[in-house]
Amino acid sequence: MVVNQESEGNPIDLFRLASRWRSGAEWKKIVEEMDSDPVPSHLNTINSSGLFHIVSMDKMSVLYTATPQHGHDVGVVQADCPAPTKRLAYYFEMKVKDAGQKGQIAIGFTMQHFKMRRQPGWEANSCGYHGDDGYLYRGQGKGESFGPTFTTNDIVGAGINYASQEFFFTKNAKLVGTVAKDIKGPLYPTIAVHSQNEQVTVNFGKKPFLFDIEGYMLEERLKQQAVIEKLSLQPDVNYSIVRSYLLHYGYQDTLRSFEIASENTYPSVPANGFDDQRDMYALDRRNTLRQLIKNGNIDSAFQKLHEWYPQVVQDETSIVCFLLYSQRFIEYIRVGQTGDAVKYARSQLSKFYSVKSYEDLLEDIGGLLAYEAPEKSCLGYLLDIPQREFVADAVNAVVLSTNPAVKDAESCMYSCLEKLLKQLTLCSLEKRALNEDQGEAFYLHRELQSGGRAN
Amino acid sequence: MSHFYYLLGHFNPVETVTMSKKVITREEWEKKLKDVNIRKEDMNKLVMNFLVTEGYVEAAEKFRIESGTEPDIDLATITDRMAVKKALQSGNVEDAIEKVNDLNPMILDTNPQLYFHLQQQRMIELIRCGKVEEALEFAQEELAPRGEENQSFLEELERTVALLAFDDIKNCPYGDLLDVSQRLKTASELNAAILTSQSHEKDPKLPSLLKMLIWAQNQLDEKAAYPRITNFTTAALEDPAV
Repeated sequence: MVVNQESEGNPIDLFRLASRWRSGAEWKKIVEEMDSDPVPSHLNTINSSGLFHIVSMDKMSVLYTATPQHGHDVGVVQADCPAPTKRLAYYFEMKVKDAGQKGQIAIGFTMQHFKMRRQPGWEANSCGYHGDDGYLYRGQGKGESFGPTFTTNDIVGAGINYASQEFFFTKNAKLVGTVAKDIKGPLYPTIAVHSQNEQVTVNFGKKPFLFDIEGYMLEERLKQQAVIEKLSLQPDVNYSIVRSYLLHYGYQDTLRSFEIASENTYPSVPANGFDDQRDMYALDRRNTLRQLIKNGNIDSAFQKLHEWYPQVVQDETSIVCFLLYSQRFIEYIRVGQTGDAVKYARSQLSKFYSVKSYEDLLEDIGGLLAYEAPEKSCLGYLLDIPQREFVADAVNAVVLSTNPAVKDAESCMYSCLEKLLKQLTLCSLEKRALNEDQGEAFYLHRELQSGGRAN
Repeated sequence: MSHFYYLLGHFNPVETVTMSKKVITREEWEKKLKDVNIRKEDMNKLVMNFLVTEGYVEAAEKFRIESGTEPDIDLATITDRMAVKKALQSGNVEDAIEKVNDLNPMILDTNPQLYFHLQQQRMIELIRCGKVEEALEFAQEELAPRGEENQSFLEELERTVALLAFDDIKNCPYGDLLDVSQRLKTASELNAAILTSQSHEKDPKLPSLLKMLIWAQNQLDEKAAYPRITNFTTAALEDPAV
């Protein structure tokens, strides 16, 4: 019944289950795109006054050409776009090519409508580290003692740490200091020159930075981790989450070994009786179906489903049927029986062409026929183990949904582990959304890739 | 008077803005949750990592077959690691030390603190069996010289030796040393050291992620009222407190 609902409503929902009909490469792209703000790449030549300074042709250097008369003829240049925020930190560097007559050079951050003839830090909502006195200016004409002065050949950097809400500055690969970031809104990386022949070149990351920004961010992560690690968990919570995961997906052999091995440590079965029963539902059958699909034996899986759960395969155009038929087709391709694959597609897959939402997926699997070595093609992922696992998970889910004791079909679609991970991801995204999109969100995929926590 | 009320009415909205948090209803939250995608393969990896790190070698092997997930460490090394852990957990400290040294002598050589804790555990086991004289001798010969090198070792040594002063050691102030949890503590320290020596992370990722969930929920709490999960074994959403 649930299946019917699903196919009438939004048929893609079953694809949400766990894995997706997507290749690893596509996944990577999705995650990358999620957090891809535009990143500054060069200097903005349009909004700078241009009266007292020249930006080079490549838009990476600025030279002060005039003779300064007062405090309102500073040569200020911003980056072409604001610093990206959906990350732990942003950082850029500049090299002082020539400190000119007075070395009145500054680096920092300003807002979009900053007065472009004033030093960053002299006006409200801006912040700048100045080379001639080594002072830090934060929205007032008067600076505060901050770090060393800088001059010709020095490489100076400015960054925003979104986790600690601080600006930080560096000189020649060393951290000079940090200061609270009390400005809200998009911030533009900004440099300024203010005496004859002063010349600086910026590096927005095209070339490696002199300062070890990766190391700085790693340290920041470790700081956060140390705070998190201090929190305490119920001692058996990991155990019961893993156990219910194995139950949910019907990994029965693993479950048995796991339970035997932990008998001494966790002698009593977790006491959440109802959930346990729910997870136990049809365990043997689900395990059998999983094994059949995992071994590529789709015909037998179909047969068993017809025998055990006719209601889930009744509707020939349901997603579950579609996935099984598609997988059968894929299995023909895997063993090189192209002729049989074509025959099978004509007799069994053609009916799905009338359903709009299957179109793309049909195109993908049909595409397998076009390659002499499909496993090496861009569609090769369809022949990988995870694709079988994906189909097995979908079958597992519809079988779980036939449990008469389950009222909320949606909730039995996900394992406890998945629910927790979704919650974690959403909390981190929401927190960021409420914090002007600043900071890093949690993505399990990235978290698993980064690894190396022990070091 | 009316003017006064007018003023109050005027200031009220400002107050609510600063005082109250954003409310995200259960319905909105569930809708957003639907759009969060977690890869099955990644969850499998997480589970595999747990099995491997915690030493469920057979379960890891089965899980490899059942889910097609490759473990991130040679499963054979788990068996050795578990043998060490088991020896320690059953109070056989000498055996455990021997096994670790068979595995890699560098592990104890480079971890004086771990080595001290193992020796301390050995003494605790002697006291547990009532071998008072042997324990005393062992303390003087093996532990005391190390205690001189390190203040924190000395304090722990003193605590352990103090056990000898009591008739009813189980109920004495230092009785916790005789507890199974002390064995587990030492065993987990040893486990971590072996894993590190195999350039594997010493802790499974799952508990860290669960802690991260606690942290992330607390952080979001400051800004919004939303459906939380407090019971991690059911993962049930709770209605937001408004």
